[in-house]
Amino acid sequence: MKSSRKIMQIVILTAVLIIGGYAIGTTLFASGESGGVPKVGGTPPEFKLVDLQGNVHQLSDYKGKAIVVNFWGTFCPPCVKEMPEFERQFAKWQNDGLEILAINLSEDTLTVNNFVHQFELNYPILRDVDRKTERKYGLRSYPTTFFVKPDGTIMDITVGGMTEEYIDERIAKLLTY
Amino acid sequence: MSLVDLSSDAFIAAFFLYCFAFLFYVIAIAGKKWSNRDPFQHEKRWGRIAFITSSLGLAAHLTFFFTRWAGSGQIPTSNMYEFMTFLGMAIMIAFTIIYAIYRKALLGMFSLPLTVIIVAYASVFPQEVQPLIPALNSIWLKVHVTTAALGEAFFAVGFAAGLMYLLRVVDFNSETKEARRSRFWVEFSLYTIIIIIGFLVAVFGFRAAGYEAQFSQEMSTVDAKGIESSKVETVDYTLPPIVKPYNSEVVHADSFLGMTDTKLEAPSWMNGVNAGRKLNTVIWSIIAGTILYGLLRLVFRKPLGAVIHPVMEGVDPDDLDEISYRAIAIGFPIFTLGALIFAMIWANIAWGRFWGWDPKEVWALISWLYYSAYLHFRLSRGWQGLRSSWLAVIGFVVILFTLVGVNLVIAGLHSYAGTN
Amino acid sequence: MLSIHNTKCECGHQNAVGTVLCESCGKPLMEDQQQNEPLEMRYDGIARRSQKKNQNLIDRIWSFFSSVKIAIYLIVLTFLGATLGTIYPQENTFINNFDIAAYYESTYGTPGKIYQMLGLSHTYESWWFITLLVMIGTSLVICSLDRILPLYRALSKQQIRKHLQFINRQKTVYSAKVDEPAEAWVEQFAAQLKRKRYRVHMDGSALLAEKNRFSRWGPYINHIGLILFLLSILARSLPGWQMDSYITIADGATVPIEGTNYYVKNEKFTVDFYTDDELPPELKGQARAKLYETAAVLYTCSSGCEAGETPVLEEVARHDIIVNSPLKYKGLKLYQFDFDLTPKLISVKPMLINKETGEQYGPFELTMKDAALNYELGPYKMRLIANYMDFAVGENGEPTTLGREPNAPAFVFLITGPGLPEAGQPYMYFPMQKDKEKFGQDQINGALASKVEIKVDGMQNVNFSEASTSLNVRVDKALNFVWVGAAISMIGLLMGSYWQHRRIWLRIDDGQLSLGAHTNKNWYGMRADVAGALQKIGVTVDPKSLDNGGNNA
Repeated sequence: MKSSRKIMQIVILTAVLIIGGYAIGTTLFASGESGGVPKVGGTPPEFKLVDLQGNVHQLSDYKGKAIVVNFWGTFCPPCVKEMPEFERQFAKWQNDGLEILAINLSEDTLTVNNFVHQFELNYPILRDVDRKTERKYGLRSYPTTFFVKPDGTIMDITVGGMTEEYIDERIAKLLTY
Repeated sequence: MSLVDLSSDAFIAAFFLYCFAFLFYVIAIAGKKWSNRDPFQHEKRWGRIAFITSSLGLAAHLTFFFTRWAGSGQIPTSNMYEFMTFLGMAIMIAFTIIYAIYRKALLGMFSLPLTVIIVAYASVFPQEVQPLIPALNSIWLKVHVTTAALGEAFFAVGFAAGLMYLLRVVDFNSETKEARRSRFWVEFSLYTIIIIIGFLVAVFGFRAAGYEAQFSQEMSTVDAKGIESSKVETVDYTLPPIVKPYNSEVVHADSFLGMTDTKLEAPSWMNGVNAGRKLNTVIWSIIAGTILYGLLRLVFRKPLGAVIHPVMEGVDPDDLDEISYRAIAIGFPIFTLGALIFAMIWANIAWGRFWGWDPKEVWALISWLYYSAYLHFRLSRGWQGLRSSWLAVIGFVVILFTLVGVNLVIAGLHSYAGTN
Repeated sequence: MLSIHNTKCECGHQNAVGTVLCESCGKPLMEDQQQNEPLEMRYDGIARRSQKKNQNLIDRIWSFFSSVKIAIYLIVLTFLGATLGTIYPQENTFINNFDIAAYYESTYGTPGKIYQMLGLSHTYESWWFITLLVMIGTSLVICSLDRILPLYRALSKQQIRKHLQFINRQKTVYSAKVDEPAEAWVEQFAAQLKRKRYRVHMDGSALLAEKNRFSRWGPYINHIGLILFLLSILARSLPGWQMDSYITIADGATVPIEGTNYYVKNEKFTVDFYTDDELPPELKGQARAKLYETAAVLYTCSSGCEAGETPVLEEVARHDIIVNSPLKYKGLKLYQFDFDLTPKLISVKPMLINKETGEQYGPFELTMKDAALNYELGPYKMRLIANYMDFAVGENGEPTTLGREPNAPAFVFLITGPGLPEAGQPYMYFPMQKDKEKFGQDQINGALASKVEIKVDGMQNVNFSEASTSLNVRVDKALNFVWVGAAISMIGLLMGSYWQHRRIWLRIDDGQLSLGAHTNKNWYGMRADVAGALQKIGVTVDPKSLDNGGNNA
C-alpha cells in the first residue's frame, strides 16, 4: 500500500515532468524561430526548386558554402539591374566557393529564359512556383537578398536594390567565415 | 401591422411592465414599515403583485423575441440591440427561476432595475433588423449566444444578491477603518450603477434634443496580411464632443453651450470601432452620472448605501449569501457550455479553429476562470459572506467588460455592427 | 510511526494521519475546532493522501500541487496573465510574415515596443503562460487523485450509527423528545425519506439516509475532462497533428496544398449581396454580403508530384464551401477565408486572319500563364518568343513588364507562312482591346499588320477569372480529443452542480432524537428535505430553524 502509493506519485510526477517539459520546451523552441520569418543570425527556410535546365536544387545541398540567395523578377527594375552585377561577382568569387541562387518570382519559363539569354547568366536561376518559397521567406518587396554563411546562418538580409560595390563588400565579408 | 412592428410594441410593453414591477417590489419591501398593516401580509401581497407584473413583463418580452424572430426570419441576437435585449430577457428568466426557489421579494427589488437598465441600454443601439453577414449565419452561433447570455444572466442575479448582501451587512454606524472602507466601496458600486443610468440619461436626452456632430477621421490600418493602408472615415456623434476621434477634423457640429469643436483627441491606442465616439460617450456618462449622484445625495443628505441599508433590515443575510452563491452555481455550467464549449464549436465551423485567442474569447475565458476561482474559494477556502459577495460583484464587472468593454477598447472579431 | 496513538478513535478505528473526523463513527479527532461549532465536513473529514509526516522532496512537491489554495492562485495568475494578452493585438492575428517588432513600435509607439519586447505580443505562446497551464494541469491531476480515492473509500463504507457529537455538530440539526417507541418512529421517518428518493439504511434506532452520491464525483469527472482537454491541446504541437495555411485560387485554377499531396481547384467563386429590398433603410445602398461560396474540388496527386514534374490528379472530394460549411476530407478541412473580385484574364482563343484573302485560321488557345510555345495554323507557323504580363515601354525604349499579373499582357510571335519571309517575322499581340489601342499594336507591327492579324472573335473566346478565393487549410487531428475532453468536463460539471449529495443521520437514545444532515451544496434544499419529511410525520418545524450556523458551502 505504502510503496504502491510512492510508485504512483513518482510515475505521475515523472509524467508531468515529461509532458510539461515538452509543452514548455516547444514554446521556448518556437519563440526562437518566431513565426518562421528568417532573421539575421537565424537559418533560412529550406526549399527544393528546379532550375532552367531541370536540375533540382535544395538549399541543404549547399551546406558548408557561402551562399547568396536572391529573389528577383523581370518586372522589377532594381532586380534587372542587379542580375548582370551578380554575374560579374559570381565570375570573380566562384573559385573561392561562392554560390549564388537566384530565385525567380514565379514567372513564366519563356520570360525567364529570354531574360537569362539576354544577360548570359551562368549562376543557377531557380524557379519558384505559385510563390511558395517567396511566402516562406516572408518577402514583402523585391529584390530581397539573403547572405548565408557557410555555417548555415544568415549574415545579412538586404531588401531593395544594391550597388555592385555593396554586393562585392558583402560577398568578401561572407567569404571570410 | 407587421410582426416586427408588433414586436416593437411588445418590447415597449415589457419595458413598462418591468418598471412597474420594480415599483411594486419596492412597495413590497419598503412598505412593510408603513403603519396600520401586518408586515408579513403586506410583503406577501405586494410581492405577489410584483411577481405577476414582472412575469407579465417577461411574457411581453418573450412575445417581442419570438415575433421579431418570426418577422425577420433570423433569431434576434445578431446585433448589439438584439443581444442586449436578449440579455435583459435572460436576466428575467434567471430571476424567475431563482425567485421560484427562494421566494424573496427583495430579490426583485434588485434584479428588476438591472433588467430595466440593460433593456434601456439596448435601446441606445439601432433597432432595425439587420440581415446577417455570412459568418453569423450558423445554428451554433445562435446556441452559443443564447446559452452564454443565460449563464451571464445568472451571474447578474448573483451580482444583485451579492450587492444586497453587502448593503445588508456593511456597518453604517461603526467608524472603524474596515467599516469605512467597506462603505466606500459599496457606495462606489452604487455610484458606478448610477453612471450607467447617467449614460442612458445623456444619450436619450441628446437624442430627444436631436443633437448631431460629425468628424472626418483619417485612419491608418494594417490588415491581416500586414499591408498598411489609410482611409478617411466620417464619424457621427450624437453627444456634444468633449473628445473627438483620434486624428480627426470637425465637419459639422451643432452648438452645445457655445461649443462646436474640441481640442481633445481620443488616444491612439484605443483600437475599437469608433473608439473616439465611445470615449466621448463614457465621459458624458460620467458627467451625467455624477450630476445625478450629486442630486440624489442632495435629496437624501446621506450616502446612498445608508439610504438603502435600513430597507434591508430584517432580511437574513445568510439567505442573500446563499442566493448569490446558488445563482452563480447554477449559472456556471450554463456559462461554460455557452460561452466556451458552444463558442468553440462555432468557431471551429466558421473559422476552422476552435480557439484563436481573440480578445473576446480571452475575456470569456477570464470570466470563466474568475468564476471557477470564486467557486473554489467558496468550496475549499471557506470564503463566504462578505468576501464571496465582493467576488460576485466584481465578477459581474468582469462579465460586463467582456460584453461591452472589449468592444469599446479592443478590436476583434466580435465587434458587433452598429455598436455605439 | 509516532503519530499512531493520536489517530486512533475511541470506537477503536485506526485512522490515517490528517484525519479530521473518525472514518468510522465520525467523532471529531482534532479538538482544535471549537466545541459545538458545526464540523468541518469537507471530504468527509478524511485524510488526504498527501497528508503525512516526514515529507521528503517528492512528498513536498506532491503536497504543493495537491493544495487547493495553490490551485486557486494558479487560476488567478492565469486569468491575470491572460488579460495582458488582450492589450494589443497578438502576433497570430497577422497572417503574413513581416517585421513584427517594427509593426508594434510604429503602431503603438514606445508602449508597443515594450509590449513586444516583453514577449506579450505572443502572450499565449509564451513560456510562462504555458508553464501556468502545465501547473494547472498538474494541480488538476494531483488534487483529484489526492482526494478521490480516500473519499471513495470513506463513502463506500459508512457507518450508520454515528457519534452523537458528529450528529449534533452538523450544519443542519434537529433534536426533540420522541414519545413513541424509537424503532417505530425511525421506520415511519424512513418511509418518508424513501418517498423523497433517499436510500435509507437502518440500524435499530439509528438511521442513515443518502441520495445523489454520484454528484460527489462530478468535480473529479470535470477535472478529468479538463486534463484530457489540456493534453489534446498539447498534442496539437506534435509534428503533423496540426496544419494551418492559406491558399489563394483564381476562378478555374488548381493549386497544390503545400506540405500535402492535395490539390484544390476553385471551379467558381460566387459572392451574393443583399438587395436593397432586404436591407433596412439606413443600410440601403451598402454592399452587405449575403453569401460567399467557392465551388471547390479536392484532388490527390497520384504521380508526378515532385518539383518540376507535371502532376497527375485524381478527384477525391467536391463541396461548395461557404462560411460555416467547410470542405472536409479525411481530417483536412478547407474554410472560406477571403476573396478578391478583381477580374483576371486566364486565356483567349484568337483566330489568325490573312488580311489579304480574309481567310481565318484557328482558333488557338493562348493561356496567359505558361503559354504553349509553338502553334500551327493552316499554312502558318507561329512561335512564341516573348511575353510581357504588364506591358510597358522602358526608359530606353525596350519593351518591359511592370508586374507578373496579366494586367496588360502582350505576346510576341514569330510568324512564318505564305507571303512572309523564310526566317519569319515578329508580330506583337495584345489580347486586350484597350492595350491594343493604347500601345498601338498596328504601328508596332508595321507592314505585317496589313498582312496578318491575330484577333479574338467575341467574348465567348475570352476566359476570365472573375474572382479569386482565399481558403484556409486546416488539419487538426487532436480535435476529437478536444471535444471528448470538453464533453466529459461538462458532464462532470453538470453532475456536480445540479445534484447534491445529501445525507441524514439520526439516532434515538432513551427517547431523545438527534438528527443531523449534511449536503455538499444547497443547504436550503437540505433543510427543506428534512423539514418536509418531519412535516409528513406530524412534526412541524420552520426549515430555517434547523440551521446550526457555520459555513454555507
